[in-house]
Amino acid sequence: MSKRFLRPPGARDERHFQASCIRCNKCLVICPYRSVRTGTLFDGFTNMGTPIIDPRRVPCYLCMKCPPVCPSGALDATLTDKRDVRMGIAVIDKKTCYAWQGTLCRSCYEICPLFDEAIAMDDALRPVIDEKKCVGCGMCENVCPADPSAIIVKPKGEK
Amino acid sequence: MKLPLMRRIAQTAFLCLLVAIPILNEREISFITGTLYSMSIGPVDITDPLSGMQVIMLTLSATRALVVSMLIPILITFVLGRTFCSWLCPQNLFSEISDILSRKVLRQRRALVPPTPIPRWGILALVIVGSLVLGFPLASLISAPGIISLQISTAVFEGTVGLETGLVAFILLAEFFVLRRFWCKYVCGVGTVLGFFRCGKTLKVTFREDHERKCIRCGACSRACQFDLDPVKGKLYPLCHNCGDCIAACAKSTNGKNPLQLRF
Repeated sequence: MSKRFLRPPGARDERHFQASCIRCNKCLVICPYRSVRTGTLFDGFTNMGTPIIDPRRVPCYLCMKCPPVCPSGALDATLTDKRDVRMGIAVIDKKTCYAWQGTLCRSCYEICPLFDEAIAMDDALRPVIDEKKCVGCGMCENVCPADPSAIIVKPKGEK
Repeated sequence: MKLPLMRRIAQTAFLCLLVAIPILNEREISFITGTLYSMSIGPVDITDPLSGMQVIMLTLSATRALVVSMLIPILITFVLGRTFCSWLCPQNLFSEISDILSRKVLRQRRALVPPTPIPRWGILALVIVGSLVLGFPLASLISAPGIISLQISTAVFEGTVGLETGLVAFILLAEFFVLRRFWCKYVCGVGTVLGFFRCGKTLKVTFREDHERKCIRCGACSRACQFDLDPVKGKLYPLCHNCGDCIAACAKSTNGKNPLQLRF
């Protein structure tokens, strides 16, 4: 199996998504933040032309404009609430996270669109992710001051 | 106005539209969005039947929106034949220009293979099998009109073009130097699928003589045909895409009393 990518909100599971995305570019065109890029051969043969989100470049801001424009059902057009999005789950690398290493940092906590829900601060002021709430938008990965990012969104289905 | 000129204007205008759509979308004028895989005009969605058909085969399900959006091109094709290919498709426009240049420069005229729809049916079957094996709509990667419009869109939005553009370049070079018009004639899956949607009443090139309109056996029609078909002999479909070049040639030879006409 080739590398998995973060897909726009509402994307079906990767196998179903691959089968039903007709590479029409409508989700990319509608995205006001240019979060979506077009997959190329370097992303794998079966990903050519498909929409990919690289959160470190631009995350998904959950405006929810793309699911309804998808003509082929690759994105679930009925999805309207950003809380129901499941693009992936953020994972913190405690070895490189500033807060977990003792420096005060609340970047991911502050930016999270599900504020104080998907990312909470524990008693020692370290960010902790609630896997049931996290939608995988990647805003945390985008703002993390560590380089490379200490918080990374694992796309849905990736082990 | 003469048929070939009207067609060239339609083709050019459509290509301009394909360039204008992403440029306008980028400025947030989004009445029309999308590419030739799927396009939205206001609230109306239009999806390429080949792409839609593959999604249905691969997922064994279809959203109602997808099926409805496929119906529009299917209905147009039922009425007008494969006029998308001849009057709108950007690949056909490029191939025609390449063919005109090739004839001027290399003076090559004939195709190497006689016209037959069997290669294109075989290729479509291969593409479908390939899609089922690979698990994604393979036809999207070899749909020349889709690639052209998608690459225009990515060029506008991301400032790059993908490697798929190489396929279009390959087609044009191969047609220029070796196999005249081979893509539209033998390969293109979009055209093959559109070719399935016809009935007795579909617009077609018809040879009908009467006391006014007599065939003078000049052969201008088959010389004008880019797919080397012979309209007098008939058996034009599914290869013929109603471009009307044979009719214009016939009208010229017979001073407007052409026995060849487009009829329903």
